[in-house]
Amino acid sequence: MTDINLAVGGRTGNGAAPKARRSWAWLGLVPFFAFLFLFLIVPAISVFSNAVRTEDGLSLSAMGEAFSGQNRSAFWFSIRFSAIAAATGVVLGTLLAYAAATATRPRWLRNVVTSFSGVAANMGGLPLAFAFLTLLGRQGVLTKMLDEGLGIDLYGGDFDLGSVRGLVIVYSYFNIPLMVLITLPAIDGLKQSWREACANLGGTSFTFWRRVGLPVLAPSLMGGFLLLFANSFSAYATAAVLTDNSKIVSRRIGFFLGGDVSIGEDAVGYALAAWMIIITAVAMLFYWLARKRAERWQS
Amino acid sequence: MIPVVVEPEIGGPPTAPTSGAPLGVGRPRSRFGRLVPNVVLVVSAVFFAMPLLALARFALQNVPTVLLGWDTLFDKWSLKGVTGVFKEEQFWASLRLSLKLAFGTVLITLFLLLPTAVWVHLRVPKARSFVEFVTVLPYMIPAIALVAGIVVIKPQARWFLNSDLSLIPFYVVLALPFTYRSFDAGLKALDLRTLVDASRSLGAGWGTTVMKVLVPNLRTSIIYASFLTAAVVMGEYTLADTLLIESLPPFQQKFVGREPQAGYGVNLLALVSTTLLFAMVALLTRKRDPKRKTFARAAANAALTSDKAQNNT
Repeated sequence: MTDINLAVGGRTGNGAAPKARRSWAWLGLVPFFAFLFLFLIVPAISVFSNAVRTEDGLSLSAMGEAFSGQNRSAFWFSIRFSAIAAATGVVLGTLLAYAAATATRPRWLRNVVTSFSGVAANMGGLPLAFAFLTLLGRQGVLTKMLDEGLGIDLYGGDFDLGSVRGLVIVYSYFNIPLMVLITLPAIDGLKQSWREACANLGGTSFTFWRRVGLPVLAPSLMGGFLLLFANSFSAYATAAVLTDNSKIVSRRIGFFLGGDVSIGEDAVGYALAAWMIIITAVAMLFYWLARKRAERWQS
Repeated sequence: MIPVVVEPEIGGPPTAPTSGAPLGVGRPRSRFGRLVPNVVLVVSAVFFAMPLLALARFALQNVPTVLLGWDTLFDKWSLKGVTGVFKEEQFWASLRLSLKLAFGTVLITLFLLLPTAVWVHLRVPKARSFVEFVTVLPYMIPAIALVAGIVVIKPQARWFLNSDLSLIPFYVVLALPFTYRSFDAGLKALDLRTLVDASRSLGAGWGTTVMKVLVPNLRTSIIYASFLTAAVVMGEYTLADTLLIESLPPFQQKFVGREPQAGYGVNLLALVSTTLLFAMVALLTRKRDPKRKTFARAAANAALTSDKAQNNT
C-alpha cells in the first residue's frame, strides 16, 4: 500500500494520497449512491413525473388541483396544526430543557430527562395514538375522571382528538422531547461567565436574555421549529388512528393510494405527495442551515 | 416521525463546556426561580406518564371500559386480557415478519453504510460534507410520499416488490439519516488514519483491521445505530400499511378493532418493549471509563466539579 510507505517516509505531510489514487477512491462510494438512487431518488422522481403527466403530455393542472377544494382545506388544516404543534413543542421543550439544565438537586435528573427524551422522541406511531385514545377519547380514562371528579365535560364543546387541539396535544408527546434534545446542548452552551459579564456591565437578567441569551439560542429555536413542523406535517401513523380519511394531507395521499378513487383523479394524489415533498424539503433545508449556525456556540 | 440520535452518547468526550460552567450552576436563585423549574418538571412527568397509565388500565383491568373512572381505579388488574393475543396465529406471523425486516435492515445498514462511512473518512474526506448532506435527504421526503413513489414503480418491478421483504432497502433509506450520523460521530472521535496505518504496518490485512481495530472502536455507534434501526422498523406503519404488507404495526391496528382489550394490550407491549430496547442501548453504550465505574463515584466527581465551579465564581 502506497499510503503506508508515504506515511512512514513522511514525504507528504498529512498522508494525502497521490493524485492517481484519489480519482479511484470515488468508486468506493458508488454502491452507496446507487443504492440511494434506486430506493430514494427514483421513487421521489416518479412521484413528480406522475403528478405532471396526463394522457396528452405534460400538464401542471394536477399540481394546481392539489390546492383546490377539499385538498386545499386539507393543506390548510395540516399546515395550521403542524405550525401550532411546532410552536407548542418549541416553547414547552425549551422550558423543560432549561428546567433540566438548571436543576441541581437530584443529580440523576438531567440524565433521566435526556434518556427519556431519546425514547419519547422516537415514540410516535400507532401505540401512542392508542394510548391517547384511552386517555382522552370519548371513553377515555381522563375524560371520565374529569367528568366524575370535577364535573368537566371534555366533549361538551368541540373537542376531539382529531381536531387541531387534539392533534397538538398528542404530537406534543414526541415534539417536546425532540425539542429537548435539540436545545439542551444549546442551553449548555450559554456560559455562566457571559451572565456575569453582563451583570458587571450593569445589565439585568432581562438584559442578559434580550441581548445575549436569546440571540445565541435563536438559531436552535428556529431550527427546532422547522424540524418539529416537518415532523408533525409528515406524520402518518398517529394521524391514521385519530383522524378520518381526508382531513390532513398525509392521510389524503394514503386515501388516493388506496385506490378507491376514480382514474381521472389519480394524478392529484401524486400532486399532493409532490407538494408535500416540496414543503418538507424547504423546511428541512432551512433547518439544516440553522443547525450549522447553532453549532457555532457549542464547542 | 423523524428518528433522532442523542448526540452526547456517541463517541467523543461528553459535552463538557470548554470554558466556564454552564448557566445556572452555583448561581444563587430566588424562591420563584427555584419553583418554576420544579413545577415544569412535575407537570411534564405527569403529562408523559398519563397516556401510558391510561393504556395500561384499558389493557390490564377486567372492567368494562364504560366504568373506568375513579371508583374502579384498583379493581381487577390482571394479565388475562393481554395473553389472549399469544393464541393468535396472525400475531406470530406478523411478529416473525417484522423481526425479519428489522434483522435485514440492520444487516444491510452495517454492510453498506458502515463501510461507506469508513471509506469517506479514510479516502475521500473532501466528500464528507456532501455525503452528510445526502444522508439527510430521506428527512425531506416523508414516508407517505416515498410510498407513493413505490406504488408508481411497482408495475415495473413486481418481481422484486411483490415480496414482503422488499421493504428492507426502503427501511435502510428511512433509517439512513440517524444511522449514518451515528457512524460519522463515532468515526470523528477516532484518529482513523493512524489506527488503520498502525494496524496495516503491523501486518494485518483489511479483514483483521476491520474486525479487530475498527469494529471494537466503533462499538457504541454500531450498537446505537442497530438498536434504533430495529426499533424504528418494528414500529413502521406507513409503508407496510399502504403496500398491504402484514407486519406487526398493521396487525396492531386491526387487532384493536377486533378485540379491543387484547389489542390495547399488544400496543402496550409494543411501547414497553421499545422502552426496554432503549434502556438496553443506554446500558450497553455506557462509557467504560474506569474513573466513573460506580454511581457514587460519578456523583462525587460531579460534586467536586460543581464545587470547583462555585469557587471560581
